[in-house]
Amino acid sequence: MSHLVVDGLRLVYDQSAGREDFLALDNVDFEIGEGEFVTIVGPSGCGKSTLLMLIAALLRPSAGTIRLNGKEVGSPGWDRALVFQDFALLPWRTVLKNVELGLELKGLPGDARREIARRHLAMVGLRAFEQHYPHQLSGGMRQRVGIARALSVEPEILLMDEPFGALDAQIRQVMGSELLRIWERDRKTILFVTHDIDEAIYLADRVIVMSASPGRVVREISVALDRPRRLEIRNRPQFSAYREEIWNLLEEQIRNSGSWEETNGAASFER
Amino acid sequence: MALLRSNASTAPLLKNRVPLVRVQRPLVGALAVGVFLAAWQIIGSNEIIRSDLISYPSEIVATLGEMVGSGELGANLAVTLIEFIEGFVPACILGVAAGLAFALCRRLRYLVAPLFAALYSAPMIAFVPIIVVWFGVGRDSKVAMVFLAAVIPIIINTTTGVNEVSEAWIRAVRAFGAGRRQVIVKAILPGALPAVMAGIRLGVGRAIVSLVAAEMYVSILGIGRLIQVYSNGGRAAAIFVLVGIVSTFGLVCVNALRVLEHRLAPWRGGR
Repeated sequence: MSHLVVDGLRLVYDQSAGREDFLALDNVDFEIGEGEFVTIVGPSGCGKSTLLMLIAALLRPSAGTIRLNGKEVGSPGWDRALVFQDFALLPWRTVLKNVELGLELKGLPGDARREIARRHLAMVGLRAFEQHYPHQLSGGMRQRVGIARALSVEPEILLMDEPFGALDAQIRQVMGSELLRIWERDRKTILFVTHDIDEAIYLADRVIVMSASPGRVVREISVALDRPRRLEIRNRPQFSAYREEIWNLLEEQIRNSGSWEETNGAASFER
Repeated sequence: MALLRSNASTAPLLKNRVPLVRVQRPLVGALAVGVFLAAWQIIGSNEIIRSDLISYPSEIVATLGEMVGSGELGANLAVTLIEFIEGFVPACILGVAAGLAFALCRRLRYLVAPLFAALYSAPMIAFVPIIVVWFGVGRDSKVAMVFLAAVIPIIINTTTGVNEVSEAWIRAVRAFGAGRRQVIVKAILPGALPAVMAGIRLGVGRAIVSLVAAEMYVSILGIGRLIQVYSNGGRAAAIFVLVGIVSTFGLVCVNALRVLEHRLAPWRGGR
C-alpha cells in the first residue's frame, strides 16, 4: 500500500471582490511509497509549494483528497513535518529551543525534549551550537536547524519546500549530500519541492514534473541511479539524459503557458 | 581616504585621534559635566547672577540634605511612587491585552484606531480638570492620570508589534500542530515583545510627566506638589533637587527596562 496518496487535488484561490478566481492546482494525482525520496520540479508559480501546504493541512483543498497511511489529513499534525525555504526559525529562541518547538507542542516534558533535540542536533552536526541564536548562524546552519526541528517530532513524512532555495550554489550542493546522508540512515519518506533540475534528479528516487499554472502532474520519472550518490554523479551520461528529459518537459510548459515573454520564465530555471 | 593614507605626515595624527574618541568618550563627557558644575558653582555662589534665581551645586546638595533630613522628601516621594506604580502596572497589563485584541480583531481596530491616534498626540495635562471631576482631588485622579498617559503608547505599540510579527513564525508554529492559543503564546507574544517593551518605555516618560504635572495642579502631597510649593516660595535650589529626583527616577526606569528587554529579547541585538 502506498504511504501518501494524493487524489484529484484541486485548489482555487478565492480572489477578493472584483478579481477572477485563480486555479492554482487542477486534478493532481500521485502516490508516494514508504521510505521513498520524491522530488517535485516545476516552473515558478506552478503551485508546488501550495501542494506541500495542502499536504501539511495549512491550506484546505477545493476538491480531492490527501491520505497518509490510508487516513485523510484534516489538520496539521506531527505525522507530517515541514522544512521551509525561509527557515522560519524563531529568532528569540536558541538553536536548542528551536528544535524543541515541535516537541513542546507535542506536550513532551523538558528533559525528554532536550534529549531528543540534542540527538537531532548532533545528527545535523550542530551539537556545539545549541546555545546560539539563529542570527548568529549562517544560512546553511540555520536550515540544518530547520531539518533537525522537523525530524525531531519523528514524522511519517518530511515535506521540504525549496529548503535550499535561499542558499548559494556551493552550500546548496553540500546541503543536498548532507540530506542524503541523513536520509540513508533511516530512510524517512521525503517529498521535496525544488525548481533546480539537477537537485531534483540528484536527490530523488522519483521526480514528479509539474505543469505551469494551473499545476498538474506532467510526468513521473524514476531515477535509476545507484545509491549512495556522490556529487560527481551529475557528470554521468545517465544523469544528463534525465536532465535533458526534464528540461524538455519544462521548456514546453513554459512556452505553452504563454507567460514566458513577460516573466522571462526560461531565465528563472537552473540547468 | 587613499590620499590621506599615502600622506605619511597625516597618518600618526589620525592614529592618535581614533582611540581618544573611542576609549575616552565617557571621560570627555564627565569632564564637560564637571566644567559646567564648576562654572555654575562660581557664578551662583559669587552672586554673578542672583543665586535665588539659578542657585548653585553646593546649595542644591545642602538643600537635598535638609529635605531628606526633615522627612519631607521621603514622604512625598513615597506618595508619588505609589501613585506611579498603581497606575503604571495596570496600564502595562491592560495595554498589552487591549493592543493584542485590537491587533487580532480587525474590526475592533478600525473602530478604535483613530481614537487612540488622536489621544496619543493629545496633551494629557489638558485632561486634568475633567479627571479631577471624575476621580476627585485625592490619589485616584493621579493614578488615573498615570494610567491614561502610559496605556496609550503601550496599546499602540503592542498593536503595531503584533501586526508586524513575521508570517513565517506563525506558519512554523502552526505546522507543528499549534492551536490559536498556542500560536499567540509561542509566536505572536514573543515576536511582538520588543515593540511592547518600546511602548512601555515610551509610557514611562509620558506617565512621569503627566503625574508630576497633575500633582502640581491638584494635590496635597507628592513631588509635583512640592515643586509647586517651592516655586511659589522662589526656592530655586529645592526646585533643582526635585527636578533632579524626577529625572533620576525616569532614567532608572528606562535603563531597568532596557536591561529587562535585553534579557527577554536578546535576539534583537544582531538581527
